[in-house]
Amino acid sequence: MNIVAPSKASPGARPWLTATLLLTLAVGSVAQAGPREQAKRIHDRLAGVPASDAVIDSMAAKISANDVIGAANEAMEHRAFYDVTLKNFVTPWTNRDSNAFAPLNDYTATVIGMVRDNEDFRTVLYGDIIYTGTGSGVPAYSNTSNAHYEYLENNHINLKDALQKRVQSAVTGMPSAATAGVITTRAAGRAFFIDGTNRAMFRWTLMNHMCNDLEQVADTTYIPDRIRQDVTRSPGGDSRVFLNNCIGCHSGMDPLAGAYAYYDYSYPENDMEAGQVVYHDIGTINEVTGTRVDPKYHNNNANFRPGFVTVDDSWANYWRKGNNQVLGWDSSLPGSGNGAKSMGMELAHSEAFAQCQVKKVFKAVCLRNAVDSTDRNQIDQMVSSFKASNYQLKRVFAESANYCKGE
Amino acid sequence: MKKIQALLPMPLSMKWLKTLAMASGLSLLAACSGGGASVEENNNSGQPNPGTNYSGPPPQSEDVQRFKLAVWDNLVRADRCGSCHGVGGQTPQFVRTDDINLAYAAANTVVNLSRPAESRMVIKVGEGHNCWLASNGACADTITSYITNWAGGSVGGGATEVVLTPPDNIFMPGDARSFPADSSLFASTVYPVLDQYCSRCHSDTAGNAQSPFFGSDDIDLAYSAAQSRINLDNVPLSRLVVRLRSEFHNCWSNCTENANTMEQAIQSFVNGIPLTEVDPDLVISAANRLVDGIVASSGGRHDANAIARWEFKTGSGPIAYDTSGVEPALNLTISGGVEWVGGWGLQFTNGRAQGSTANSKKLHDLIKATGEYSVEAWVAPANVVQDGPARIISYSAGEDRTNFTVGQTAYNYEFLMRHANTAGDGMPALATADDDERLQATLQHVVMTYDPINGRRIYVNGEFTGDMDRQNTGHLNDWDSTFAFVLGNETNGQLPWAGIVKLVAIHNRVLTAEQIAQNFDAGVGERYFLLFNVSHLLDVPECTVNSVPQCYIVIEVSRFDSYGYLFDKPFFASLNSAASFSNIPVQSMRIGINGREAPVGQAYGNIDVQISQARQDLSTLGTVVGLEKGPSADEFFLTFDRIGAHTHVRLDPVPPTPLPPADGDPVSAIGVRTFDEINASMSVLTNVEQTNPNVQTLFQTIRQGLPNDELITTFSAAHQMGITQLAIQYCNALVEDTAKRSAYFPGFNFSAQPGVAFNATGRNQILDPLLARILGANISSQPTDASVRAELNALIDRLSVCGTSCPANKTASIVKAVCAAGIGGAAMLVQ
Repeated sequence: MNIVAPSKASPGARPWLTATLLLTLAVGSVAQAGPREQAKRIHDRLAGVPASDAVIDSMAAKISANDVIGAANEAMEHRAFYDVTLKNFVTPWTNRDSNAFAPLNDYTATVIGMVRDNEDFRTVLYGDIIYTGTGSGVPAYSNTSNAHYEYLENNHINLKDALQKRVQSAVTGMPSAATAGVITTRAAGRAFFIDGTNRAMFRWTLMNHMCNDLEQVADTTYIPDRIRQDVTRSPGGDSRVFLNNCIGCHSGMDPLAGAYAYYDYSYPENDMEAGQVVYHDIGTINEVTGTRVDPKYHNNNANFRPGFVTVDDSWANYWRKGNNQVLGWDSSLPGSGNGAKSMGMELAHSEAFAQCQVKKVFKAVCLRNAVDSTDRNQIDQMVSSFKASNYQLKRVFAESANYCKGE
Repeated sequence: MKKIQALLPMPLSMKWLKTLAMASGLSLLAACSGGGASVEENNNSGQPNPGTNYSGPPPQSEDVQRFKLAVWDNLVRADRCGSCHGVGGQTPQFVRTDDINLAYAAANTVVNLSRPAESRMVIKVGEGHNCWLASNGACADTITSYITNWAGGSVGGGATEVVLTPPDNIFMPGDARSFPADSSLFASTVYPVLDQYCSRCHSDTAGNAQSPFFGSDDIDLAYSAAQSRINLDNVPLSRLVVRLRSEFHNCWSNCTENANTMEQAIQSFVNGIPLTEVDPDLVISAANRLVDGIVASSGGRHDANAIARWEFKTGSGPIAYDTSGVEPALNLTISGGVEWVGGWGLQFTNGRAQGSTANSKKLHDLIKATGEYSVEAWVAPANVVQDGPARIISYSAGEDRTNFTVGQTAYNYEFLMRHANTAGDGMPALATADDDERLQATLQHVVMTYDPINGRRIYVNGEFTGDMDRQNTGHLNDWDSTFAFVLGNETNGQLPWAGIVKLVAIHNRVLTAEQIAQNFDAGVGERYFLLFNVSHLLDVPECTVNSVPQCYIVIEVSRFDSYGYLFDKPFFASLNSAASFSNIPVQSMRIGINGREAPVGQAYGNIDVQISQARQDLSTLGTVVGLEKGPSADEFFLTFDRIGAHTHVRLDPVPPTPLPPADGDPVSAIGVRTFDEINASMSVLTNVEQTNPNVQTLFQTIRQGLPNDELITTFSAAHQMGITQLAIQYCNALVEDTAKRSAYFPGFNFSAQPGVAFNATGRNQILDPLLARILGANISSQPTDASVRAELNALIDRLSVCGTSCPANKTASIVKAVCAAGIGGAAMLVQ
């Protein structure tokens, strides 16, 4: 077997590979799991790293005393829960490719911090909140650079300790009313407000925080009066394509994505990484639209002249009726409004949002989606618990670890 | 009955007046040649002048002269109107040859200069009166162009004025019948009469075949052709009946009796068609079909210098007619993958529509005469991936020889043109910028212009794209008159374009930006105002005058494409100016089609307005509704959740609770750690920081080669190789750091030869701390200490065969190997 040795390791170490492979195969099925085995798995799943004997002892004792949640909380005291598990849990949400290898950024850090501090997780979509790092040598937060967070990651700064909750509007200078949690972070803007029509921000939010892509919510019977002019009603000269497909997504998406009409990610030519989220505040008049609306909302406006023309950041949730009622909208909210903040609240206060967070955590901890009614019942229970705990996501991690600790 | 009219707003009215004023002064300006004023040219110069046979008195006025050039010269030929409407022939004698002034006077009785398309002369020919082409519509359009050219600039402004009048036939939805999809009822009622008395001419297999082929042996073809000649709502008005009863067209015995026979057959057909029921709970307007509407003129186009124009109104057959009125007509022959589409157009897949080189020569002649030109088209590319450039419009003789070519390359329009400073193949092309993605797979208005000052320019949807022609301009002396004009492909068939063409016009002048915007705004295709009677819903007495409804919701409706209708900008209109309205609510208006609400496309479902004026917009939006039976058969109406005092409670159906998903296959309860977890775990197991430079550098290199998914079934040998490299790097860092290794492996003598160092004590000094960290204590899910210890001891044995005569540092190397084997194994990896 031709094996390439690592560049800077001792050549004498090569024969160990055979032993390594043998050891890889040596681990078989899991035997009956006692408190120590359960403690190890809980720690592995939550912190991502092996626990010390002392921690195993402590966790096992709690498990024996029927305090599995306490044991899980102890595992989540390990910094790797934040540096590794949560970072890799969140990073795929922050880019279009669901790339877990992307650098730490303000979106990721904000979610990590909110979990650590047991914030009401719904505010992730509408809070005036952001987390930044502290420490000597850490470059200051910048609206035009991700260097602050990359420094934290590259220097293995302990995120559990270093992250500080801050008021987003005070950090970024965006008006408080225009902040919407991670939606208005720089990383989200770089990924989803860049170019295009800002529908990307809605679609990825729908996928990452409602666990539905547009295919799952498409319905051609909704009233299409908010579909913008850029959507051709006769793709390639065939209106059946629009009437049977396009309209199904755009009829619901376009009225909701109107909330992002004042946002853009502006960047210097040929340097997308140096850009920043731009919000067209009161008093701003764009010369193309004649309003505060970003010109991207008028892209390709000749595709269908009689289509909807965006003149403000009003939004409306047509999915409160029809088949998409099943997403479970909050009846105490009006279902329409202006701006990303209220629209973020509309999404975050839905049943689908709560279920989505729980399902994501379940997958991360149990290493699978729900496969049977037992799993689904467990998810339902955790959704209830999530709500009852004022939407503390850390508790969902603990309960998932309990469920999947092995028996 | 006093006819009450409502006028649409006329934003162009001032422009029209200005244009009219300019036209009125035209003769004065023309008399002062050299005055520098721009004078519209008449393009009837491409044909040997048939007017040379005129030898009567000279035209008495400039208008008579314009009539002669634009109309008389074109129609005087014996194969057009000259053989009947000349001197001593049938009246009106508008092509008499003895006195052009008398011909002019006669022509004035059958033309409408402000609305040429409504001229009696046009309507008559359009109805089939001695059309010299295979298509009556093409003849009508050609004569329309003649009259338009005669009228000159006075046409246009008037076209924006549409008079709304009550529909002749107001009926409630469901009262009208729709043609059955199946032809069997037709076959047993109407067809026998047609087959017996009409099929000798009106059949595709007849010796003297004349369309429409409602007498065809193919029943379905006959049924299709007959539908437009049958009026299901008013049988006596069916064309098949009127033709016999009033126009005495080839009656087989007695015209009245024959008409009665035909009427009875059609009545039997109609009686067999059931009525469509409408939900009685709905609040509905009266109904309309597209053909019941008032034509919303698509006038206002600037065509003063059009030397060729195709509008594709024919809708069938092998010829697309040039109806510019500029002779010779550059008619295009359709071949290959080309189909007619609804709303006037041709859809190209892999075919072309090509003119003869002889007729194409008029482009060469008339454009070379001016040295400038414009190519204008409404196109809907089928996709944004075709290239070549794929030929949309070309005047050429193959890929390497062209006079001009309009093509597509992905998202770009391209304009190739031969002149003194370009090659014979028209290169280099002027293309729209890649980043602009101007070309979209939707209906677009595209204009390419060339003149010696600005060179080539491209306009999309009425706007100059800003793409500048880098080539110097040049003369057109090298244009080749033997090339052919073609749509949808190159003349050799090598560069097909896929998409729909709805209008093409060639102008031998540059269209100005204003003219291009004007033509874009004029749109394409036929549009109608449908007046939906709501008089019965408003409880306003003035909404009915002498039993005639006066209050309507008016929507501009057009055939959007082969599969849909466009409903645009509904407004309320009272035709009774005496009526007043006080905040009458209109909420949630929906479009009904053939007895039910259209399931998709209800863009007016959220409107909530109050009518307080005799003319009031309801929405600025347009929407597309799917076509069902065709423009002549689909019956539209409106429904309301509230209008006036009438309400309909729309229940929002509760969606069924989703069923739980089917159980999935069992999934392993264990998985593998992923990239960052592996890195962090090795750091924990070795006490080496992740920021160790060697470790960090290697990790960044191999990070994406490590497992990215916990799923154990996706773990591969490549992943293990990455883990191996990282494990060795961590252990190397541990062993090379004397402080760390002393703390980790207390008491072990790294400087001794392996034969000494790895005695029983030494082995335990290595394996005890290592296994304690890797395996943990008393965790039964981990490999047993004994089994791992045996493997690692065997590894030490194999590596230390040199005993006491090993190279320096061999002991340290063996420790690294043992360490790496431990932390790089499943005991670390599996979670």
